Amino acid sequence: MSFVSIEQAGYGVPSGGTILDRIDWTIGEGEFHALVGRSGCGKTTLLKLVAGLLAPSTGTVRIQGEPVRGPGAQVGFVFQAPTLLEWRTVLDNLLLPVSLTRRPQPADRRKAEELLDLVGLSGLEGRYPSQLSGGQQSRVALARALVTEPPLLLLDEPFAALDAITREELQNDLLKLCARHRTTVLFVTHDIAEAVYLADRVAVMEGGQLRHALPVPLARPRGRDVRYSPRFNALCLELRHAMDGAGSGVALERAS
Amino acid sequence: MVRAASALLLVLLLAGWEVYCRVAGVSALVVPLPSAVLRTLWDGLAGGYLLPHLWVTTAEMAMGLAAGCTVGFLAGVLLAEVPVLRRLFYPYILASQVVPKLALGPLFIVWFGFGMTSTVVITALICFFPLLENTMTGLQQVDPNKRELFRMLRATRLQTLLRLKIPSGLPVILAGLRVAVVLALVGAVVGEFIGGRQGLGASIIAAQGMMDSTMMFALFIVITVLGMIVYQAAAGLERWLLRRPWKG
Ligand SMILES: Nc1ncnc2c1ncn2[C@@H]1O[C@H](COP(=O)(O)OP(=O)(O)O)[C@@H](O)[C@H]1O
Ligand SMILES: [Mg+2]
Repeated sequence: MSFVSIEQAGYGVPSGGTILDRIDWTIGEGEFHALVGRSGCGKTTLLKLVAGLLAPSTGTVRIQGEPVRGPGAQVGFVFQAPTLLEWRTVLDNLLLPVSLTRRPQPADRRKAEELLDLVGLSGLEGRYPSQLSGGQQSRVALARALVTEPPLLLLDEPFAALDAITREELQNDLLKLCARHRTTVLFVTHDIAEAVYLADRVAVMEGGQLRHALPVPLARPRGRDVRYSPRFNALCLELRHAMDGAGSGVALERAS
Repeated sequence: MVRAASALLLVLLLAGWEVYCRVAGVSALVVPLPSAVLRTLWDGLAGGYLLPHLWVTTAEMAMGLAAGCTVGFLAGVLLAEVPVLRRLFYPYILASQVVPKLALGPLFIVWFGFGMTSTVVITALICFFPLLENTMTGLQQVDPNKRELFRMLRATRLQTLLRLKIPSGLPVILAGLRVAVVLALVGAVVGEFIGGRQGLGASIIAAQGMMDSTMMFALFIVITVLGMIVYQAAAGLERWLLRRPWKG
């Protein structure tokens, strides 16, 4: 059964532009999908439609069969920037989704500390965001989105600003965290290798339309060996060709 | 080192002033001797003459500051949160910025009479604007990503205000407070010039009436020291509130 279904969803702005044009896509429960495309093709807009932060001008987005009418509790969102509150500690930031609904209980605190441990930040719960590195801030943002254990996680190029090594570590953290509760994921990126490494299925977007879908039949759990396997490289090349084919012939920078 | 040099400069300046006045025989009516000013100051403090005035001015300043800042902050929150009100009132607020508030002093005397009330009102009015302006600016400068985060987390409007907008605008709001503190002293002293019976400003006018330049200088010193103390207190409060690593 599909967990997320995007049906003929379009989005236009009053100034006359069509940003998204009749998008159809479904994500099965527990699946990890990636959405790739060059800057400005509408990836963020599509993600915000799914999140309920924007309302589609045509078509509908359904989560578990229910049309999305606004931001919901079942969705976690990771923004491109870590977006932490500088005046709150790491632990307070992590518990923000909880503390906005009720007073955090000791059980919530334990869960937050467990998450911090999983992303390698144990012992840093009393720090402030400005005392963390970029990678550590991204880890906090990721853990914050998962603290309420949402069944659906949406991520908008969350690792784009990180160096290659840190990015690989975070990709592994993400896979590990999502495997715990079989979280359904839609991950936006412009990095081909990242999409192939993380996803079960990759959608290629171009000029506000979905042009291609590429299944990634790599076994899980995926580790470092996968990244350097011929199979992985062949899939990256295939995705790259799909993106070129989708494009107007302008070569896209290989992002890794 | 630099501090010591600054202190030395002051001592040299005062010594030069003293020597010049004595040698050239400048009248104490025009420029008093520093030593005479210090003696008057000491007598005024030790003899208790200055203390009630100091107390009155401090009280006016504190009340005016508290009232003006509270109302200014609340009005700033209201205008930042309700765009309709902002559009409605902003032209008037801009216009009222240009009005020299001290020039309203005589009118306040008509309304509130001579004494503390009119001075407190003037002081409050002067403190109102920097708080209003900075609160509005601070609350509207919130990072759009953070707003979206709060929207995604389904925070209520009040939660967004209390837990996002006010904390993230706090540095700007406190900068307004620092400006207000300095203006409050000006407001209290000048308010007393116009309509005070008691206080440091009223004492300056009284000293002027008696052509007592020495006392006027002594009062300037008291006002300056008072101003430095409240400014440092405001800066200290700011440092304490922003002691956590704050950014932007
Ligand atoms: N509110 C808006 N008004 C007008 N144009 C917009 C708006 N939001 C996004 N766009 C435009 O829509 C296109 C897609 O934006 P976006 O979804 O952010 O792309 P991506 O995330 O793939 O880089 C861009 O060309 C952008 O300029
Ligand atoms: Mg984007």
